[in-house]
Amino acid sequence: MSTARPGVDSALSRTLTGSVSRRTVLGAAALTPLAAFLAACSSTGSGGSATASAKLTNQLNIYSWPDYFSKDDLAAYAKKYGVTPKISTYTDTNTLFTKLNSAAGAGYDIVVPSSGWIKQIAGKGLLEELDLDRLDLKHLDQSLLNRNYDPGNKYSIPKDWGLLGVVYDPDATGGEIKTWQDFFDAGAKPGVSGRIRMTSAAEETVGPALWMQGKDLNTKKISDIKGTEDFLVGFAKHVKTFSAFDANAMASGAIVMALANQAYARNAILLNPKLKWVVPGPTSELWVDSFSIAKNAPDLERSYQFLEYQLTPKVQVNETVYLGYPASLKGLKSKLPSDVKERDLIFGGPDVDFDKLTTFVVNPDTYPTFQEVQTKVQAAAG
Amino acid sequence: MRRNTGDHVLAAIPLAWLAVLFLVPLGFTLVYSFGTAGFGTIELGFSLDNYAQALGPLYLETFVRTVAFAVGSSALCLVFAYPIAYAIARRSGRFKVIAFALILVPYLASLLIRVMSWQILLAQGGPLERMLRATGLLHSPLTILDSLPAVIVGTIAVYLPIAVIALTVVLDRIPSEVIEASQDLGASGAATFWTVIVPLSRPGIATAALLTAVPMLGELVIPVLLGGNKGLFLSQAISSQYVQSQNYALGSAMVVLLVLAIAVVVGLLVRLTRGFDAAGAEGERG
Repeated sequence: MSTARPGVDSALSRTLTGSVSRRTVLGAAALTPLAAFLAACSSTGSGGSATASAKLTNQLNIYSWPDYFSKDDLAAYAKKYGVTPKISTYTDTNTLFTKLNSAAGAGYDIVVPSSGWIKQIAGKGLLEELDLDRLDLKHLDQSLLNRNYDPGNKYSIPKDWGLLGVVYDPDATGGEIKTWQDFFDAGAKPGVSGRIRMTSAAEETVGPALWMQGKDLNTKKISDIKGTEDFLVGFAKHVKTFSAFDANAMASGAIVMALANQAYARNAILLNPKLKWVVPGPTSELWVDSFSIAKNAPDLERSYQFLEYQLTPKVQVNETVYLGYPASLKGLKSKLPSDVKERDLIFGGPDVDFDKLTTFVVNPDTYPTFQEVQTKVQAAAG
Repeated sequence: MRRNTGDHVLAAIPLAWLAVLFLVPLGFTLVYSFGTAGFGTIELGFSLDNYAQALGPLYLETFVRTVAFAVGSSALCLVFAYPIAYAIARRSGRFKVIAFALILVPYLASLLIRVMSWQILLAQGGPLERMLRATGLLHSPLTILDSLPAVIVGTIAVYLPIAVIALTVVLDRIPSEVIEASQDLGASGAATFWTVIVPLSRPGIATAALLTAVPMLGELVIPVLLGGNKGLFLSQAISSQYVQSQNYALGSAMVVLLVLAIAVVVGLLVRLTRGFDAAGAEGERG
């Protein structure tokens, strides 16, 4: 699974259980995302000739997470520009990387990598360098720009973002969770043990253990990562599932404590208001899903046109309401319609400080070790 | 001669299909398995390191666990399928087609949908829990979802139709005269079943075992959906190497070992079923 998807796990789990789509439909039965997945599978193309052309073609091929654009916005775009984007989908950025890195990856215009993978994908020459003169970034939240994963936004502009946090039932945990230490301590308690959801994203399993030990998520020391293994393998017995986040399981009490992003947490809290959400200290992760243009995109003009459209304030507001993840518009919170519930939660809570959060960046030297630990933890939980 | 040419052309089409879509990718996998992995890249060569790693403790344990899961689930599947197949083949009379259709129809639905429905059924507070509570069989929340038993239940359910079909076809062909002869000679119902019907249905048993155990060795979806992605199965380990760790070489070595294991299973079953034609012929004669 990709870099940073608290709720979004291994391709399959997300795919399969419902969190397939970034946008989790509130209270909907598991079948809604399934439909999204099925739709995704019958991927509407990706085809397109690979011949670069300065002229507008009549196609725009997008490769993205499932159900990751507001249907109304897509329809409005189609109406305005006469092109209905063809959207193919993946369920984690690892898959995006794998596909772009192969012959099957040709023909896409727009792709939506997560922050952690941008360096790797761009490093392989698979992303077009963006012409920032053509995109108006000044009305975007400046703290989302120029971050460690893509200095100067050479290859990416932020689409929306999320945080790794914990959603929990305070009655079960017997108190508030404020730090990662609290999370792990609570997990071993009777009544919580065996009712925990973690994720299948290695950095989201190893990360909390690293932070608890006062270490950096982007550590270059293999020994730091390996150093979390014994602890995490020991903790594995308390975990019920590493599959996709299921708001209904939290509402029913099958799960009482879960790693989740703020949008998943919001869905669960809307179903069961006694649940609480926290971004534990000392730090946690901020991931940013980003717009990029694939190298040799068949239609550069159309790609920029689509990005311009996506960055217009009205569309940014619509997308936020639709997805439950905040788009990158500056001052977005105050622009949301008044009927949006739990609006603070969309932004991860009232006082999230981006500067105190870490964004994971995949490093080929250390990433296999992250995966090794993850594999052992999941194996030990069975 | 001309007919021969036509035959060859006809045979060449599926052969070409098989070669392009199966053997060529398998060849790549074999070559990759001896290579050295970079991150999403591969340097070709001849190294056995990947095999050493694939046979290390974690993956060896995974391998054994996966084989045990496949063999056990396949056996359970056959145990459930046999009476169903028997009833359809020998007891359903003019409703045979309907009974067969009832088994087949769910099989036409996507695997995902069938597994998803088990997820809903088995969920805490779900229909099964409500039913068990209503009948007084359960007094606490149902916690089976996200566990190995749930994976086994789902796997049996998903593969049951294949086993039923394979067994029904064979059971249907056992001539009634053979069974009547057994009864005429004074064999009890049980004796007839165990000494006449079961031996004559061995080809069906072998086919059903093959058609269920082999895909179970590569099962990926069900453990993730119903097992909470806990406890490792081979297919998850392989997919993790390819997609997560970007280690195509190790993933390939694991695939090669899995394919070899499947070849051994198939080989064994083929050996076991050898002589079935003769048995069938005996049946015909009887």
